[in-house]
Amino acid sequence: MSTAAVDNANKSSSKANAAVGIRRARLWRIMLPYLLILPTFLFIFTFTLWPTVSAAISSTIKPGVTVRQPGKFVGLNNYVELFDPNTAIGEAFPRVLLNTLIFVVVTVPVSMAMAFGLALALNRKMRALALFRFAFFYPVLMPLISAASVFAFIYADNIGLANTVIHSFGLPTHRWIGDPFWTPIAIMIVAIWKQTGFYMIIYLAALQALPTDVYEAADLDGASAWNKIRQITIPLLSATTLFVLTSAAANAFQMVDQLYSLGEGVPQDKSNLMLYFIFQKFNERANVGYVNAITVILLLMLLAFTVFNLTFLERRAYYEN
Amino acid sequence: MRTSKRLNTHKNAITTTRQARLLSQLATVGLFALALIWLVPLIWTLLVSVRPSDEPLIYQIRGVAGTPLQTVVNIFYGSRLTLENFREAFNVVNWGQEYITTLIFVFGVLAVQIVTIVLSAYAFARMEFFGKNILLGLILIQLMIPSAVLIVPNFATIRSLGLFDTKLALMLPYFGSAFGTFLLRQTFKQVPIDLEDAARIDGCNWWGILWTVYIPSSIPTLTAFALVSISTHWNEFLWPLMITQSDYNRPLTVGLGQLQRTNEVGALYGQITAGVLIVTATLLVLFLIFQRQFINSFLQSGLK
Repeated sequence: MSTAAVDNANKSSSKANAAVGIRRARLWRIMLPYLLILPTFLFIFTFTLWPTVSAAISSTIKPGVTVRQPGKFVGLNNYVELFDPNTAIGEAFPRVLLNTLIFVVVTVPVSMAMAFGLALALNRKMRALALFRFAFFYPVLMPLISAASVFAFIYADNIGLANTVIHSFGLPTHRWIGDPFWTPIAIMIVAIWKQTGFYMIIYLAALQALPTDVYEAADLDGASAWNKIRQITIPLLSATTLFVLTSAAANAFQMVDQLYSLGEGVPQDKSNLMLYFIFQKFNERANVGYVNAITVILLLMLLAFTVFNLTFLERRAYYEN
Repeated sequence: MRTSKRLNTHKNAITTTRQARLLSQLATVGLFALALIWLVPLIWTLLVSVRPSDEPLIYQIRGVAGTPLQTVVNIFYGSRLTLENFREAFNVVNWGQEYITTLIFVFGVLAVQIVTIVLSAYAFARMEFFGKNILLGLILIQLMIPSAVLIVPNFATIRSLGLFDTKLALMLPYFGSAFGTFLLRQTFKQVPIDLEDAARIDGCNWWGILWTVYIPSSIPTLTAFALVSISTHWNEFLWPLMITQSDYNRPLTVGLGQLQRTNEVGALYGQITAGVLIVTATLLVLFLIFQRQFINSFLQSGLK
């Protein structure tokens, strides 16, 4: 073979190589974004998207009595039984659902209102700001279970701090954990104590970003402090309020760890909450359909709150930009 | 006419300032009262944990025969300062082991999260590809569906993967983060595209570009994300309680929960408050030192 022939052969093969290389590079450029997203997508698919679907599927199945016996498709029957007072689960569940709604509807507005008030009070030049910020924010960083362990002492019947203080004012004491009326309140107090600081710092940051000229104009008009809050601050903060409301509602559905140390829903699920109820029931084979159905209901409630907040309230919210 | 109006405005201004001053004084008093109430659980914990365990803050004594029980509050007269509660708490629960588990859990989650969110955030911020918006939408569903709610199906998944009672099982549901992806995507979008072009001309591939351009310019965002991620997972309770069984796979919070359960009507005051401090102190001390960073991180995580 002459050198020219070798040269030629080399040239054509390198041309082919180049073509393959270009094709590869193009394929790589097309594939790269998908490969970059893959890990995130895979984890979110496996632990958020698929479980949501699988909960919906499992909620329509009545499990067999033994492991070997296959489950049976029962349509929406599990949901019906959740609300049927003649079944074991239906005896408790409606009350737990109601508790959860009350818990959300009470703790969210109360902690938001307190957070707003605190933020207003803190939004000025003051020396003790760091102290106050610590006092109200540290519960956010404290595990709910730690908080509940301390509150268990505060709520103790005879030697608890709550009853001791109440008693020293000559008022009637309560069974904070155990009484059907006071236990849910005790549970809600822990949640409000824990969350208020978080919403407070969000409000405080929003307040500090407000334009000052509006307030100067209002001062010239001789507006009272209350009027300024009502007619300037609250409307200007409506976007913040919407955001806080959405995340507060989502958080409230998940705040159940405290029940582990505070009575586990005593008496008879009167203070129980949905997520904790799921946790209590999931290990029993017969309950598989039920706990999945409750999961679906919980998901729907979360979605309903979010969608409601975003569609109905967003229209009224004022945005600076 | 005009003078009287001006006078009126003047008068209004005076009442306004007076009103404002009164209001601000009221606010300060209210703040102090509320802050004190808010601090009660912490103060209580600190006080009880260093007193002898047979000297509770509040106890009842029986007076002369026939008189009802009397409640005695004894805040200041603990006979001595002691660490015996901590020693006893260490006899019951293996806090050292659980502390390590918590660290592995928290930093394991964070390490994987940082990798996954940097990669996906870069793709969503700076690349065009088919199905981008749909994929982003699917990922952002996680913002609406917290994994805490999915404990039942996730438990089944972990079981079927054969990972029950492992440290990996603790972490897996948190490896992908829609919130982190979104947060970092916003930050990456602010990075001038010229910097990326310059790096490309210098011969950087996508990995080099991420490493030399994007990651250095998003350190504040990554720090904020890290602080929020760490404090969230440090405090995780229900999922670790469900998914683990062996002591060496259980984080601090679960240890505390179990210690609290063995408590018979307040007999273990000292040990439990000591446990509460063991579980909580790390984050609280960090918060005391880096107050501003913590608050800014939580703010950034809240405000997009």
